[in-house]
Amino acid sequence: MSKARASMNIKARTSAISWSFIALAVLLICAFYFYPMVKALMLSFQTGTGTNLHYVGGDNYARLFKDKTFLTALKNTFIFLIVQVPIMILLALFISVLLNDSKLKLKGFFRTAIFLPAVTSLVAYSVIFKYLFGNDGLINTALLKLHLIGAPIQWITDPFWAKITIIIAITWRWTGYNMIFYLSALQNIDNSIYEAARIDGASAFRQFRQITVPLLKPIILFTSITSTIGTLQLFDEVMNITKGGPGNATTTLSQYIYNLSFKYTPDFGYAATVSYGVVILIVIFSILQFRLAGDRNG
Amino acid sequence: MKKLIGLLVICVLVLSACSSKSNDTADNGNSSGGNGGDKASKITVWAWDPNFNIKAMNLAKDAYAAKDPNLTVDIIENAQNDIVQKLNTGMSSGTTKGLPNIVLIEDYRAQSFLQAYPDMFYDLSGSIKAEDFADYKLGPTSVDGKHYGVPFDSGVAGLYVRTDYLEQAGYKISDLQDITWDQYIEIGKKVKAATGKDWISLDPNDLGVIRMMIQSAGLWYLDADGKTPNIANNAAMKEAFEVYKKLMGANIVKTHSDWSSLVANYNTGAVASIPTGNWFTPSITAEASQSGKWAIAPMPKLAKTPNSVHATSIGGSSWYVLNVPGKEKAAAFLKDTFGSDVDLYQKFVTDVGAIGTYKPAASGEAFSAANEFFGGQKIVSDFANWTTKIPNVNYGLHTYAIEDILIVEIQNFLNGKPLDDVLKDAQSQADAQVK
Repeated sequence: MSKARASMNIKARTSAISWSFIALAVLLICAFYFYPMVKALMLSFQTGTGTNLHYVGGDNYARLFKDKTFLTALKNTFIFLIVQVPIMILLALFISVLLNDSKLKLKGFFRTAIFLPAVTSLVAYSVIFKYLFGNDGLINTALLKLHLIGAPIQWITDPFWAKITIIIAITWRWTGYNMIFYLSALQNIDNSIYEAARIDGASAFRQFRQITVPLLKPIILFTSITSTIGTLQLFDEVMNITKGGPGNATTTLSQYIYNLSFKYTPDFGYAATVSYGVVILIVIFSILQFRLAGDRNG
Repeated sequence: MKKLIGLLVICVLVLSACSSKSNDTADNGNSSGGNGGDKASKITVWAWDPNFNIKAMNLAKDAYAAKDPNLTVDIIENAQNDIVQKLNTGMSSGTTKGLPNIVLIEDYRAQSFLQAYPDMFYDLSGSIKAEDFADYKLGPTSVDGKHYGVPFDSGVAGLYVRTDYLEQAGYKISDLQDITWDQYIEIGKKVKAATGKDWISLDPNDLGVIRMMIQSAGLWYLDADGKTPNIANNAAMKEAFEVYKKLMGANIVKTHSDWSSLVANYNTGAVASIPTGNWFTPSITAEASQSGKWAIAPMPKLAKTPNSVHATSIGGSSWYVLNVPGKEKAAAFLKDTFGSDVDLYQKFVTDVGAIGTYKPAASGEAFSAANEFFGGQKIVSDFANWTTKIPNVNYGLHTYAIEDILIVEIQNFLNGKPLDDVLKDAQSQADAQVK
């Protein structure tokens, strides 16, 4: 009897000790992650200006579907997503394979050079891009001097070219970042696999397609999910390069949230609704990508 | 299982990343800025534009030092967008720590702050004599008859023109004294033909020129109640859109996408005229080699819209006292400086080029001085004269929300969508946006 009690005590004590270890972390996470999340969810059911908020039920969510600006922002975000993420992933993959070549000289230099954009400040590089792509900017001047174009391209003030500018900017910024993931994964692939393939007469392209890509699949999945999330939250570049313009040709969801909160008369309730819209989208996309990548890797 | 956990982790990360966006509002505001007001002998001021507002505030500070040497005035420069953001975050979080005592707010945004955070502003009705200030400034700065702001920058607009380019096309500045926007465009075409220089520099993302046109007719994006969008049946807006299209189609417009390229377009002599607020004067005069080549004409008016006059305003601003400790000191400071000091207003004119809206100051000496840069024109007295004629409109709560809708629709209009449809669509979007 007393023995059983003692063992219970020991059990209780150990579990109390283990709880005390994680209690602080749990508390902090609850306070700084879950509490704001729940609060934002509640906020998304309210509307009003500034601090004068009142509950409106699902009205905000109904408004999302009728809100032309929201739908345009959504469309823009998707265009960025569909065009930019695949380009960047392929480019990163390509560059990492080149850099992984054992015969390459100055490897460290190239790696640093390509990774360097990823450590620059988002705002700083955006501002530089804005000047590079300005009407009288370096890019236009260079293209004009080389006689590749007859008149300056409206990189920032034309709806089509503004989108291209944003895509070029984020590709420049994030390709190196993704490349590092591929590079480290490539270094874990045993060289003897390639050697065997070469002996069997496989071409370089075939090696890439049938050895490199399948072995990198988990990493490709990871990078495409993080890139998708990143693109859905795109803000700094658009805010600084085009301010969402011309018109709302490059407005993104995050920028719309900013505008609703800070540019217009603040409607934090509806802004929270839009951010929950982004959450739902990201969850859907992540599930989709897991599905598409197959069940084995997850 | 592993997959599920991975997905959960991603969801949590994402959720937190997103929710932080909307909840930033509750957490941020306190991090920066002065710790205004915990000591009553120190007040903090936030404003933007070091060459204009900050300079004027510094003059006020010096003038007030004679009256109350114990008061420290801490003037902090922030970009206007940063001020708007900090005020929003600070006020909505409910903590007043970190907020300044005095803040400059643009007239277009004033009502949205005053009505969104009604308890955060200190009533200045007892500190200033409202009737001493220009009529059109009182709409934005007061709510329900209570005055919360001390009107400052008049935002009065004029047409800055390069007289040397005009002469090459056979015009004189006297030909521009009473023109309509249509005539303005015609003159622009001739100037372009004669000199090869563009006539005006516009940013497709900024409808300032439309705002100036409609205010000249006493109309705005919103009805007089400041809440109901007034677009589809707005005669001034209709004509303003037509003028804008004509302007864009006349091949006399150079586009810019930010402030520095706008200023560069004028300082390099690439563009010949700009209808804008008097706060643009320091940017024009910054290019000393163009001295004597500029003049300022009254604003063109809308031809078809009744009541359109040769006076309007753009982007004026006013000082507000926040309801935080130290507010009495701050109110007293504003009362004795921007609220009543005629001599100080003369200094604003001579040292800063800032034209206030304090009526008793307009008879002062500095207001009638000739400006050599503008060929000896008495620009301050001209601006002060136009200030008295600016129609009073209610900027209301939603100027920028509606402008963002119009920016898109005006592009559709330029691309051939019929004007009535454009305005109707803008109206219905605006109705949905501001409800």
